[in-house]
Amino acid sequence: MLATTEQIIVNGLLSGLVYVIMALGFTLIFGIMRVVNFAHGELYMVGAFLVLVFYGLLGLNYFVALLLAALLTAALGAVIERILLRPLVGRELSGMIMSLAIAIALQSLALIAFGPAEQSIPRPVSGVWRLGDAVIPLDRALVAGCSLAILVAFHLFLKHSRTGLAMQAVAQDPATASLMGIRPGAIHATAFAIASGLAALAGGLMAPIYTVGPYIGDLPMLKAFVVVILGGLGSVPGAVVGGLLIGLIESAAATFGNNTLALIATFGAVLAIVLVRPSGLMGKAV
Amino acid sequence: MRFVLALLALAIAATPLLVGGRYILHIGTMVGIMSTVALSMHLMMRIGQLSFAQVAFMGIGAYASALTSMRLGLPPALAFLLAGLLAAAVAALVGPIFLRIKGVYFVLLTFAFSQIVNLIFQDWTSLFGGNNGLYGIPKMALFGYRLTSVGQYYGLALALAFVTYLAVRAIRSSDIGAVIAALEENEPLGRALGLDALAWRVGIFVVAAFFAGLAGSVYAHYLGFLSPPAFSFWTSVDAIVMNVIGGLATPLGPVIGALLLVPLPELLRDARQFQLLAYAGILIVFLLFFKEGIVGVLGRRRSAAS
Repeated sequence: MLATTEQIIVNGLLSGLVYVIMALGFTLIFGIMRVVNFAHGELYMVGAFLVLVFYGLLGLNYFVALLLAALLTAALGAVIERILLRPLVGRELSGMIMSLAIAIALQSLALIAFGPAEQSIPRPVSGVWRLGDAVIPLDRALVAGCSLAILVAFHLFLKHSRTGLAMQAVAQDPATASLMGIRPGAIHATAFAIASGLAALAGGLMAPIYTVGPYIGDLPMLKAFVVVILGGLGSVPGAVVGGLLIGLIESAAATFGNNTLALIATFGAVLAIVLVRPSGLMGKAV
Repeated sequence: MRFVLALLALAIAATPLLVGGRYILHIGTMVGIMSTVALSMHLMMRIGQLSFAQVAFMGIGAYASALTSMRLGLPPALAFLLAGLLAAAVAALVGPIFLRIKGVYFVLLTFAFSQIVNLIFQDWTSLFGGNNGLYGIPKMALFGYRLTSVGQYYGLALALAFVTYLAVRAIRSSDIGAVIAALEENEPLGRALGLDALAWRVGIFVVAAFFAGLAGSVYAHYLGFLSPPAFSFWTSVDAIVMNVIGGLATPLGPVIGALLLVPLPELLRDARQFQLLAYAGILIVFLLFFKEGIVGVLGRRRSAAS
């Protein structure tokens, strides 16, 4: 029994860390642009496909491929923001509908380029690692380790770099931020690029573990959505706590019971949280 | 102008009957059903809310109508009415809670709500048939007359869309429409004048759900088969897109949107990926360059000419 508990916690944290990376970008875009980005899952999918191309097909080193995928997706994000989202700034509903259009466009482009079949990528590491009674597959440990590194890097960037501080200022009060000489347009583009890069990293990290296909972004998107509402829209610590929490809940549900019931319960929890405390568990009051 | 417009609408509506063929009539029936759903979405967008719940109400209506006529042996005409009323009742129950919140959080709430409803359809297999679907839904019967051919369902769907259109138009040109426009324009002022903003919005939500439920019922009895993906997130997206492309200025907008978008997948049948790309491309062009949709473009043209 004790072994199961340990294993549940390990599994939960391993998948939870990826949810955190996925949710960070989603919450960043919401905090700064006030847009629910329905295309976030598709950027995850783009990242996974780029890793498939660079690592699986061209045979580059896995980490180089991952980095290239993140950078290219970030550039794509900046272009998307500049051309498609910038003209709609301040129009909340139109912004969200545009993100739906972007999601459909990216999905169809992936279908055209790669076809509907799911493809697999060789794993960069294999084997298992025993920690007490729990078994940790090394490939999952690698994903978790990278996620943790990304999380730390993101935290340092947000708290200590000029751009990071400017982003926080825009999220808090766009008008005052622009009076202080911060250009909101540039911040929006940077934020969207970083969020896209984070989604691509999550996609690229998970690509060797699952398969790669045009529809793989749907589920992570749904997870990011739940995590971010749970933690508080726009809150970075909330995304971390929410991501780990959802990972643990899912891991327990997968061991003991029914996945769909767990999903219904999570959405029920989301509904309750939005109603009782729309700012989420860690967010500031709206 | 009005006369010409009515004549044009009549001509378009009659075309599938004149051309005939099961296939054309099928598309016509789906245009009628989706017009009704898009009009339901239209009412919500007019009160400034993007609702992912309308398709859930369509699903509730569809399954309610199917199950009451299959299991309880209710006459389908009665089941049809019941479908609308049940959807409206659920809306009346959740509306006062959901509509306290505006904007992004409302989108999230209705999204979570529709996911839960869809998951219940999928998971409660003994009742809803799950992802394998629910088969053997009886055909619609009106005044003892069974509707069996596609042409008859085309007529039914068209009638439903037309009644919904008239209802939405009546709401908008009545005092209710004025109240809602006032609340959209300046809510604090409206409330200061004694308008109960929440009650008005819940009222609209309930009416919109009623018509979505009716559309679900027609869908169920027409196809004779139901499965959860028909009421998924992407059907909501379709209804939203119809409003964006058709335009929000008049209730004619979502109808025009449905008329253009429902046949689109049929035109590019063998190439789903290009169909999706075209769909996204059209949506992007309208969002960026034709904010008021087709109705808005036509309206501008007309006011420029006069």
